[in-house]
Amino acid sequence: LILLFYLVFYGFLAALFTFTMWVMLQTLSSDIPKYRDRISSPGLMISPKPDNALEFYFNKSDAQSYAEYVSTLRKFLESYDDSKQSQNINCTPGRIFDQNDVAVKKACRFNLSDLGQCSGKEDKTFGYSKGTPCVLVKVNRIIGLKPEGEPRIHCMSKEEGMVEINYFPPEGLIDLMYFPYYGKSLHAHYLQPLVAVQLAINSNSTKEEIAIECKILGSPNLKNEDDRDKFLGRIAFKVQMTE
Amino acid sequence: GLSSARAAEILARDGPNSLTPPKATPEIVKLLKQMVGGFSILLWIGAVFSWISFGIQLAQGAESPFDNLYLGVVLALVVILTGIFAYYQEAKSTNIMASFSKMIPQHALVIRDAEKKEMPADQLVVGDIVEIKGGDRIPADIRLIFTQGCKVDNSSLTGESEPQSRSCDFTHENPLETRNIAFYSTTCVEGTATGIVINTGDRTVIGRIASLASGVGNEKTPIAIEIEHFVYLVAGVAISIGVLFFIISVSMRYKILDSLIFLIGIIVANVPEGLLATVTVSLSLTAKRMAKKNCLVKNLEAVETLGSTSIICSDKTGTLTQNRMTVAHLWFDNQIYSADTSEDQTTQPFDQSSPSWTALSKIVTLCNRAEFRPGQENLPIMKRVVVGDASETALLKFAEVILGDVMSIRARNKKVAEIPFNSTNKFQLSIHETDDPNDKRFLLVMKGAPERILERCSTIMINGKEEPLDSEKAEAFQTAYMELGGMGERVLGFCHLYLPENEFPDTYPFDTDSMNFPTSNLCFVGLLSMIDPPRSTVPDAVSKCRSAGIKVIMVTGDHPITAKAIAKSVGIISATSETVEDIAKRLNIPVEQVNRREATAAVVNGMELKDMSLQQLDEILCNHSEIVFARTSPQQKLIIVEGCQRQGAVVAVTGDGVNDSPALKKADIGIAMGIAGSDAAKNAADMVLLDDNFASIVTGVEEGRLIFDNLKKTIAYTLTKNIAELCPFLIYIIASIPMPIGTITILFIDLGTDIIPSVALAYEKAESDIMNRRPRNKRKDRLVNEQLAVYSYLQIGIMQSVGAFVTYFTVYAEQGFLPSTLLGVRVNWENNAINDFEDSYGQEWTKYQRTYLQWTGYTAFFVSITIQQVADLIIRKTRRNSIFQQGLFRNKVIWVGIFSQIGIALILTYGLGHVTALNFTPLRFQYWFVAVPFAILIWVYDEVRKLFIRRYPGSWWDKNMYY
Repeated sequence: LILLFYLVFYGFLAALFTFTMWVMLQTLSSDIPKYRDRISSPGLMISPKPDNALEFYFNKSDAQSYAEYVSTLRKFLESYDDSKQSQNINCTPGRIFDQNDVAVKKACRFNLSDLGQCSGKEDKTFGYSKGTPCVLVKVNRIIGLKPEGEPRIHCMSKEEGMVEINYFPPEGLIDLMYFPYYGKSLHAHYLQPLVAVQLAINSNSTKEEIAIECKILGSPNLKNEDDRDKFLGRIAFKVQMTE
Repeated sequence: GLSSARAAEILARDGPNSLTPPKATPEIVKLLKQMVGGFSILLWIGAVFSWISFGIQLAQGAESPFDNLYLGVVLALVVILTGIFAYYQEAKSTNIMASFSKMIPQHALVIRDAEKKEMPADQLVVGDIVEIKGGDRIPADIRLIFTQGCKVDNSSLTGESEPQSRSCDFTHENPLETRNIAFYSTTCVEGTATGIVINTGDRTVIGRIASLASGVGNEKTPIAIEIEHFVYLVAGVAISIGVLFFIISVSMRYKILDSLIFLIGIIVANVPEGLLATVTVSLSLTAKRMAKKNCLVKNLEAVETLGSTSIICSDKTGTLTQNRMTVAHLWFDNQIYSADTSEDQTTQPFDQSSPSWTALSKIVTLCNRAEFRPGQENLPIMKRVVVGDASETALLKFAEVILGDVMSIRARNKKVAEIPFNSTNKFQLSIHETDDPNDKRFLLVMKGAPERILERCSTIMINGKEEPLDSEKAEAFQTAYMELGGMGERVLGFCHLYLPENEFPDTYPFDTDSMNFPTSNLCFVGLLSMIDPPRSTVPDAVSKCRSAGIKVIMVTGDHPITAKAIAKSVGIISATSETVEDIAKRLNIPVEQVNRREATAAVVNGMELKDMSLQQLDEILCNHSEIVFARTSPQQKLIIVEGCQRQGAVVAVTGDGVNDSPALKKADIGIAMGIAGSDAAKNAADMVLLDDNFASIVTGVEEGRLIFDNLKKTIAYTLTKNIAELCPFLIYIIASIPMPIGTITILFIDLGTDIIPSVALAYEKAESDIMNRRPRNKRKDRLVNEQLAVYSYLQIGIMQSVGAFVTYFTVYAEQGFLPSTLLGVRVNWENNAINDFEDSYGQEWTKYQRTYLQWTGYTAFFVSITIQQVADLIIRKTRRNSIFQQGLFRNKVIWVGIFSQIGIALILTYGLGHVTALNFTPLRFQYWFVAVPFAILIWVYDEVRKLFIRRYPGSWWDKNMYY
């Protein structure tokens, strides 16, 4: 009897739980979350991302040592392949691409060639074999985010003279036409803008750990100096290359 | 006397003349005991584990290892603070007692260096010669070498309050019986004496008894046993769940370190950190309340002991009775009248129209040497201090109440001669002028032992007329005398004679030595009987005890007849029940033939008790529900108490004398008398009755039972949310969702929001008449029983968890993480390197953003538990009755509790929401209401539960759902 009682009791509770959860989920839109106040400003992230800590270790003459980075990059860039972007349109550069009135949101084309030497087209190893590894910096997707000004990615090494940094697109510019994002369900083919950072490591700085910090600059509403969140508008990683 | 030098020598040898106080536990040991007792051990383990994992993390160089350091420190702090708090509470209540029992320094008049000196009594040594006078406390055991009308009150030693005369004669082998020894700490009532000190300090008779008392072990109080049981239960649950999930998490391939952290979380969630402090506060609140009702509690836990008492062994004198003689019955005109014996009488209701009464009242007024002490005109008559012995005082007050100013009546009837009472005559006589100016006769008045008075009478006054005393009237007198005597009352006879004017003119020289006046052929007027009457509140209190299933046993040194009479009048022996002797008398058969089982009452004489085996005593205690022990010695009191305890009863014992202290100590709760009690008795007792009134014990019982019920409620309330704190951990481990509630947050519930409400439950009024219940069975009626744990843990607790999880999922869903996304994300969610964690809508989150959301989750979970704890608090007000029967607003403190709970939650969320270490964040207002339907559900469900319990008593539901 006692078992039966608890069966009924917990059955009822489970039903109640399911019901209230269902009611709660009904109040949600499937397109955009109800609140976005916990992510007012985007974080930065890099690709490839080493397993646990953000530290790259490779030997430029040992293909095995950077094979994982290369394959990650290749995989990451698959969705940017021209063949996948057939439905995407060419947008007007330099302008926020507002589609509030349109039911079907269009995605802007991101030309892989904009990534230059880091596009993986010319150099299948993304520069790792030449000692000029590429790292892609991306801005976290946040629904409805409209950057102001001219956002760009700027990286620097803590120690001077160890590395020379090149950006693709030039100056690390992020085009406003890729904003805003309308969410996974509405904006299915959306591709977030990328900035490739090519690190030309000085030949006498090999074997040394190089600390690099990238920040998003030029946009007043994108934070990059938060005390607690080390990834809000910035990212720090380390590179160590041997020969 | 001794020389000062010699005295100093002896003092150095024997030590000071004072009793060594019982050894006290050092304060620091007490404090440490508080810190390792109960749950503290578990928390210490938790703290140590936190530090260990901190150490490991630090060694591994992880990024935020300080969380565990903080947690360990917080846990240690919690243990230390609650320990200090409990110690402080304990100390506070002991201090009241300490200040109370502090002896006033005593002085003694000693002859040293051939000079009389006043010196502190503890400087006395053997061989000193001391002088004592009426009113002094005897400073040591002394052998008397000179006395003058000296009487001592040995009640603190033997329990007999009748003063005993002391002389220099050696009368008995036994030092306790002989007349020429006076004992330490007894008092000299009247007269003066000089004596040689023969024993000091611990070697005195009292000192030996006191050390006997400290030899009697102190039993664990019932509530201590209950709390221990409860601690074992909860600790058992905590450890077994903790270990179980440690094993589960290890086998689910969590890292050992992570599993260790889960273990800490589970322990912290399971242990009600604030509960023991709450219990202490509740007990001390009750102790305070009882102190207001004249029960001073020495040992906090004794508060509840009184509630579980099933047998009270009570003294008679002073506890059940008023401890003063009062006129109870009158006999005149062949009729018995009863007088009002209550404490605050102002008039007497019996018929006062008969002229015989006028005559009797005159004798009562005039033949009396007692006087009021001057300057008390404003006090009620009963409270005034009188100089004179007990019966004369009674008569004086009696006369004052009826006639008014006795002193002026005496002044108008000038006394011309007087013979005071002595034990050979057994009468007292005085001759007065009358207040009638036309009547020049003298009035001779006499009172004394009735049979002696009757012998001297030849006539008897009936309705104001003198009639010859024939055998029929003498028979009537005998009947009345026997009847009054049978009620255990002290009877006095009164007679008078108007001396003829011609034989005794104005100037007649009365000589009391030669007795040149008639002392026979007087006119008998009436009888008055006196008794130490029961306190007016006692019969009611005894009947309350009876309905509460508590057996009241009277243990007294008094005469069996008096004891029985008082027992009958207060209801210890009820009107319908009979003793073996009564049955024998009724059936006219010898005592031996009576079936002992038929008699519900028993009066046991101390002499009989002496010859009884333990089995016989057990039999008496078992078979008779109403027992009076008369003429018992203090040692026998101890035997009686042990006998009761053998029956499995929780025994309360009252006592005042030093000789009672072993029994007080042996009893589960010893109750000492605050006014009449000796210091030794107060030291041995757990409780002191400030007004010496038995009725106060009954209020104590009521409070004790109430606090037991209320502690049950408090514990039920506190245990409930433990499940709501534990479930998150279990689900976190099993379903790998982001952590729903943090360990620190749990501590804020246990030690923050929940504290005041759980104390507030101690103010709850009794549900139904708790005094109509039997005392709880020590073995069956536990403080925390299975039903309580199951109902709190598996029903209300689970409901709370469900409510809290709904809030948790709502918060996450509305921020972009739908419940389906959350399952199984734990590893990535907690990975510091993943800063583009994708939610259900394609947005990407950095680690900190996730952590902040997680804290919001903590806060939401916390708020939900708090909101549902409000409902929990309300349902815990009653266990059986509907809340609406109990009154939602009757206990104002509950509302203070509710407001404090919500207030603290508001402060934590909005006020301290930005302090990172506390893991609170400001919360959207609507999340406060997500759990409200569940709170209402809890309330409704509990009302339904109570309804079924009331509707179907004894049913399956009642058995399983009533805690």
